[in-house]
Amino acid sequence: MFASRFISYFVIRGLVVCMGISLQDPLVFSAETVSQHDVLPILHLRCTVCHGRQKKESGLDLRTVQSILEGSKNGPVVIAGNPSASKLVKKIVEGKMPPKRKLVIASVKPVPQGELKIIQDWITSGMPIVKAGRPTEPFLSESDKAFWSFNPPKRPKISKLNQAEIVNPIDTFVANRLSEQGLGFAPMASRRELGRRVYFGLTGMPPSPDELDEFELDESSDPFGKLIDRLLASPSYGERWGRFWLDLAGYADSEGIQHADRLRPWAYRYRDYVIRAFNSDKRYDRFLIEQISGDELVRYDDPDAYNEQVYNQLVATGFLRMVEDGTYAGITNFVPDRQDIIDNEMRVLGSSVLGLSLHCARCHSHKFDPISQADYFRLRAIFKGAYDEHNWLNPGERRLPYGHPEELEHWQKNKASIDAEIAALRADKSLDEASLKKSIELAEKRRMEKPMIRALWDRGQPSPTYLYNRGDYLQPQDLVEPDVPRVLASSIGDLQVEIPWSGSEKTGLRLSFARWLTRKDHPLTARVMVNRLWKHHFGNGLVRTLDDFGRAGELPTHPALLDWLATEFVDSGWSIKYLQRLIITSRTYQQTSRVSSERLEKDPENKLWSRMPMMRLQGEALRDSMLYLSGRLRWEQFGPADEVDVSPDGLVMARPKDQTWRRSIYLRQRRTEVPTLLASFDLPVMSPNCVERPESNVVTQVLHLMNNKLIRQLSNAFAKRVIYERPDGIDEQLLHAFRLALGRDPNSQEMLLIKSKLKPLINHSNIETLQAFCHALFNTAEFIYLD
Amino acid sequence: MKLSLKKPLLNRRRYFQHLGGGLGQAALLSLLGRDLSLIGDESYSSTPDAAFDLKPNQPHFAPKAKSVIHLFMNGGPSQMDLFDPKPELVRNHGKSYFDKIAGEVENPESAGALLSSPFKFAQYGQSGMWVSDALPFFSQCVDEVSMIRSMYTTSITHEPALYKIHSGRLFPGHPSLGSWISYGLGSENQSLPAYVVLDDPKGPPINRNQNWQSGYLSPVFQGTRFRSSGAPVLDLNPGKEVSEKIIGLERDVIGSLDLLHKSQRHYQPRLGARIANYELAAKMQLEASDALDLSQESNATKAMYGIGEKKTDSYGKRCLIARRLVERGVRFVQLFIDGQIWDNHTGLKKGLLGACERTDKPVAGLLMDLRQRGLLDEIIVAWGGEMGRLPIAQLDGKKNEANSGRDHNKNAMVTWMAGAGLKKGYVHGSTDEIGMKAVDNTVSVPDWHATLLHLLGLDYAKLFIHKNGLEERLVGVEEPEVIYGLLT
Repeated sequence: MFASRFISYFVIRGLVVCMGISLQDPLVFSAETVSQHDVLPILHLRCTVCHGRQKKESGLDLRTVQSILEGSKNGPVVIAGNPSASKLVKKIVEGKMPPKRKLVIASVKPVPQGELKIIQDWITSGMPIVKAGRPTEPFLSESDKAFWSFNPPKRPKISKLNQAEIVNPIDTFVANRLSEQGLGFAPMASRRELGRRVYFGLTGMPPSPDELDEFELDESSDPFGKLIDRLLASPSYGERWGRFWLDLAGYADSEGIQHADRLRPWAYRYRDYVIRAFNSDKRYDRFLIEQISGDELVRYDDPDAYNEQVYNQLVATGFLRMVEDGTYAGITNFVPDRQDIIDNEMRVLGSSVLGLSLHCARCHSHKFDPISQADYFRLRAIFKGAYDEHNWLNPGERRLPYGHPEELEHWQKNKASIDAEIAALRADKSLDEASLKKSIELAEKRRMEKPMIRALWDRGQPSPTYLYNRGDYLQPQDLVEPDVPRVLASSIGDLQVEIPWSGSEKTGLRLSFARWLTRKDHPLTARVMVNRLWKHHFGNGLVRTLDDFGRAGELPTHPALLDWLATEFVDSGWSIKYLQRLIITSRTYQQTSRVSSERLEKDPENKLWSRMPMMRLQGEALRDSMLYLSGRLRWEQFGPADEVDVSPDGLVMARPKDQTWRRSIYLRQRRTEVPTLLASFDLPVMSPNCVERPESNVVTQVLHLMNNKLIRQLSNAFAKRVIYERPDGIDEQLLHAFRLALGRDPNSQEMLLIKSKLKPLINHSNIETLQAFCHALFNTAEFIYLD
Repeated sequence: MKLSLKKPLLNRRRYFQHLGGGLGQAALLSLLGRDLSLIGDESYSSTPDAAFDLKPNQPHFAPKAKSVIHLFMNGGPSQMDLFDPKPELVRNHGKSYFDKIAGEVENPESAGALLSSPFKFAQYGQSGMWVSDALPFFSQCVDEVSMIRSMYTTSITHEPALYKIHSGRLFPGHPSLGSWISYGLGSENQSLPAYVVLDDPKGPPINRNQNWQSGYLSPVFQGTRFRSSGAPVLDLNPGKEVSEKIIGLERDVIGSLDLLHKSQRHYQPRLGARIANYELAAKMQLEASDALDLSQESNATKAMYGIGEKKTDSYGKRCLIARRLVERGVRFVQLFIDGQIWDNHTGLKKGLLGACERTDKPVAGLLMDLRQRGLLDEIIVAWGGEMGRLPIAQLDGKKNEANSGRDHNKNAMVTWMAGAGLKKGYVHGSTDEIGMKAVDNTVSVPDWHATLLHLLGLDYAKLFIHKNGLEERLVGVEEPEVIYGLLT
């Protein structure tokens, strides 16, 4: 029981100081006293859906002591000292409330006996009110506070190394550790390898052989820098790096949970926002603030006054709206279902941005890190203005009518034309009832949905947050106030709450949190991000546990390098492109991926970064490459997701438009219809997000690449392209196909081998030879593994 | 996901196993043919790249069984109409009860009064197990079976309840039971997947392929669908438009280019694994087609499964294929039925009978066939759905009582298992007098999972993977109990 956790209780028989009302006649109750903190969570759970903010049936609001005392339009509902005469109790005892036949519609459960007794006891003892103290939490020790990742990164000094090979400070850190093991940098990768590496690395697309030729032969100063700048400026860059962020957000175009797996028609706006943010190199601090609290940055009450900035900031809040959400149906919209959604969003936030396994503290204080259960619930309290399990908006209600004027105009035109059409049908007296109905239905099918934004916004008046014992919503305990985890607050300060603008109903909590999160001295935010950027260029993070910078995570391989990068990142104005350029231009990045036995022995896990790891293309890059080579890639950015078709045997394929397809990031990501090719190449199942894709090597990949009809069609189209571009001679054609697919000329041994293997076909037909060869190229290891 | 290298994980773990030798080498040889001279070095296998494969693993302790056939009964079969007779329901038929259980009802607006079973119960076999007359074939097999009357789950909605029974959680995204088992034990047959799903050609079950997903385990542990007609596996065979000769040439080109590529890149075990996968793909084509070739079975066997009879042909074929797959070393075979034939909200008598008619004879045939081949000593057959049903009636829109059905119930459900390590002709646990709630020797879904793992020699606590700072397990964070009462 709540009260039992406190030593003393300042109580009155009426109203209390902590509620802003004058204190009279204070009493100290025994530790067993039932207080409002035992009763309010029950009323929120069982009653406020109809007697609360959204509905006040019979004029009754049961959210606060004050509103309870105000009673309903029929008079008081509680009589101090007399529970059996109190209407609140009577309705429950008689089984009238909550109404049994409406339980599922309202997504509430009946009041169990134990809870009823608490309400009765509270009324019996005169409805005492106590002031909540701080919840008891594990002691925060000095060694807890001293842990490296809870303290701001310190900019390390860079020692001068007399090595010609040092390009930038990254190399100094790496070279120092290598030399301790008697190693230097691995030899430089060849320009061709480097070119291919950086093309895929920055754009997720293959270079053309001509581009590689040019790069290889470029004798001007800094050809690599020029290439990097060109790729960073390419629109494809955002399509490659946007995907990385969408994994972290747990992006999906459907709600999941129920078999119907309802689509999210407007989710694509968030995807586009992310791609644009990467392309425009939006400051990372700004990127986070918009995604966590865009709705508290700008006023958007007038949907007709369109403003691009407002639009972007509202769309950005889609970040914490991506997890599975079955609350559109009453039966999967009970409080525990909502809890799971909030918990999953906390998981997304913790694993993607903070690098902490916060969710572990939902049920018990963290086993490794100094994060208490109260910390977890304080964090949830920050989000309560937007995600309130006792005042819930289902997915259909969590949309704001806001769209680009052109979109609105388009919609209005459609609306007008359908309305006119239907009016004309109704006026047509020659139609019988059945055919009228049918015609109207047909017309309605062409009606567009009104442009909306899936958003998250603070609605003010959050319900109080109680810590749930073992995470169980049936066991509310201490009241907690919104704040950031203690260990981080002790390091850089706690939450400084400001109301977003004067007169705003919003709590401003998320904006304050986002500002705290993006403080320059934040111990985690910059470190976690630069570590991820490192990982996506080097195959592993400096901290290998990307989502866990706590005690159960691994230590950084090069702590000073991590801190140098983090401070450099912040000092550059949180520029992701700046940091990537820094990484890529380093000598460390330009090492070959060839492993020598010495390096393998001295650095078996590549924790010294003594070489580049060989990397497999992600599913998207593989598919996009095949589309590109076959001339079937349609360069068209943004907008609603491209549909997929599911064949009766379960194959999920993207639907073409004029035999072309867009890049994979634009494919519809319905949870139950994941495109087969991408699924077998590790497109993640979002649960709730994906912090690191596995790199699997499984036979279904082979089956798909070898036997799938569409892959065959694409390789045939590739062959056709080769013939078109090199009309004469099979030798030229084989060479050209090889160069296009692998970015280099085959050596004489390879050419000999190819020709000898294909000999039976070469004698037979050029086109068949090329078709087989192009299909084989799609299946080679070199096509899918980057040096 | 992070496979932590710090903790002393089980040394049998496959993370560090590589395809450099064994299969890989065999693959090289056969793909390479006369080009052996091109190999520059031996595969080296000490780098810690995570390579998942299906090589057989040592279990944690001596197993009772080596594989499982899971006959999944979508929709929530009614316990009090099949295996759990309730005389009290007969006595109290028509009495109002809804108010007492309102919070446990999915559709309160259509809830009716207590409903006695329209089926007749009798005792069968030496064990005298009670079975209703809806299952005339199964009732002849009761002496092989361990019946659990006291199971329960935690959701009254299909989707979450399905995720729960298949993956232990109410949300999608977690590895399924079959994936965990494949992850723990690998496969006895390297030319077939470890985990095969035989879904209904008539259509997918609720939650579709999410029922057999591998979540955060590698996709190699995902259920592979085998179809009982046409090409057995998605993309298993190349289309007819490409000749075998061309495929052969392509394989040759790929194999030799890949070997050359590999020979210039030392110590990259993934390249060897990839080459081996191309070999496996070729072998799978043959092996899977063979496993699905029912013409190799006698007419008597086929008749036992109801193959050739209109109502039972489809399910009978899948049951027989399941036997052929476990015979070939497949670890986990799971059968699904289209939609939810056991979800009898209304028209209980007709609906339930229809579901029984499609499955009863094939299931009994499978049990008898496995017994006569001695396979029941090596494998487990598990039968059950995702939830149970309520003792009160659910009324149709016209409130026609004769057409009553039953709504979902999470507090009581029935399931049975048969085979290696399990008691025969045994009934475990019980429900209250009307079958509303499991009360005695109750079995949770994680308990049931832990028991299956135990029979296969796996310790539920040791079967985990690191993810987001947690050791994720099939059974979650709760401590389940292995149901020793069921075991011999």
